[in-house]
Amino acid sequence: MFAALVLLAAPAHADELHTVSLDMNDGKFVPTRLEVPAGVKFKIVIRNLGKTAAEFESLPLRKEKVLAPGAESFVVVHPLRAGEYGFFDDFHQEAQGVVVAK
Amino acid sequence: MGQVLFVVWRESVEALLVIGILFTWIVGRPDSRRWLPYLWGGVGLGLAGAVALGMLILFAGEAMSESSQTLFQTGLMLLACGLIVQMVVWMRRHGRTLKQEMHTALAGEVGRSHGWGVLLLAAIAVAREGSETVVFLYGIGQHLVFFEFVLATVAGLALAGITFVLLQLGGKYVSWRWFFRVTEILLLLLGAAMLMSAVDNLLSLEILPAVVDPLWDSSAFINDGTAMGGLVAAFTGYRAYPALTSLLIYIGYWVLVLGLLRLPRATRVPAGA
Repeated sequence: MFAALVLLAAPAHADELHTVSLDMNDGKFVPTRLEVPAGVKFKIVIRNLGKTAAEFESLPLRKEKVLAPGAESFVVVHPLRAGEYGFFDDFHQEAQGVVVAK
Repeated sequence: MGQVLFVVWRESVEALLVIGILFTWIVGRPDSRRWLPYLWGGVGLGLAGAVALGMLILFAGEAMSESSQTLFQTGLMLLACGLIVQMVVWMRRHGRTLKQEMHTALAGEVGRSHGWGVLLLAAIAVAREGSETVVFLYGIGQHLVFFEFVLATVAGLALAGITFVLLQLGGKYVSWRWFFRVTEILLLLLGAAMLMSAVDNLLSLEILPAVVDPLWDSSAFINDGTAMGGLVAAFTGYRAYPALTSLLIYIGYWVLVLGLLRLPRATRVPAGA
């Protein structure tokens, strides 16, 4: 029943996905905290504003995305349970961030 | 980076082991000058084969769209995982008799008095380890910065040379048996990690259903969303938010591996096959 409600509430088309943006800049994430609704698919649009290549990586989100300097791309993430899911830049490991599903 | 180093190191030691056996055998013969060129020719041929395969994989990957590239990479990860298991099982069965088996094969070649067999033996050994390395590296190293990648590869080769010399010096420092014991456990863990990455991709592409997702949340224990936790995951296949499918495949992998390693020799294909 709950699952059915979630399905009804979920957007019908891919382009209506809840979308958040994330900028990567030579070892910095802006913002470092992304809030998304729990239980629905969502999209993260990622831009690499830095001068070096970056890799958005998150095992909890099951995503890996390499971005050349200046590149823009996106990942579509499966519905998450409420909680915090970390991500980091594999090419600049000091850069860490978190997706918060509510 | 650590994975690249480890894989290059272990694969190179194996190739060196075979070359070393061939080399000592040839040098011990009175007509060794005749045979050595075949040995080095074989080594070169094997290296060329591995490099050619690497190029082919890279160019094939470049030419694809992003989702088919992910799928292609996933396929190679599964292949690499299978190769790891096959290699560990093969070494377990042949490691101890490898020298004797090769000498028998060599004696046969010499009987026919041509060096192509020596060439082929060396080429196969090098190409085998080399192409396994290439497949691994594509699976795990694709996202590394080129400089780091080269560094890890060169360091792995150098370490392999040192290890081989130490092992050859006899049981003084490290024994072959100990070397294979430790590295085979690490290799199998790496195989499991690679399998889990492949499963992640398949779940992400919705080729596999997650069924229950996530099954639990152990991020308070080890958080795989951080660089440190990611390292643990890269060497063991650990996941803080595993899907049921991932867990079942992970268990299945270890059941299969342990089953294969325990299989009595008698049920195997006769020796020499």
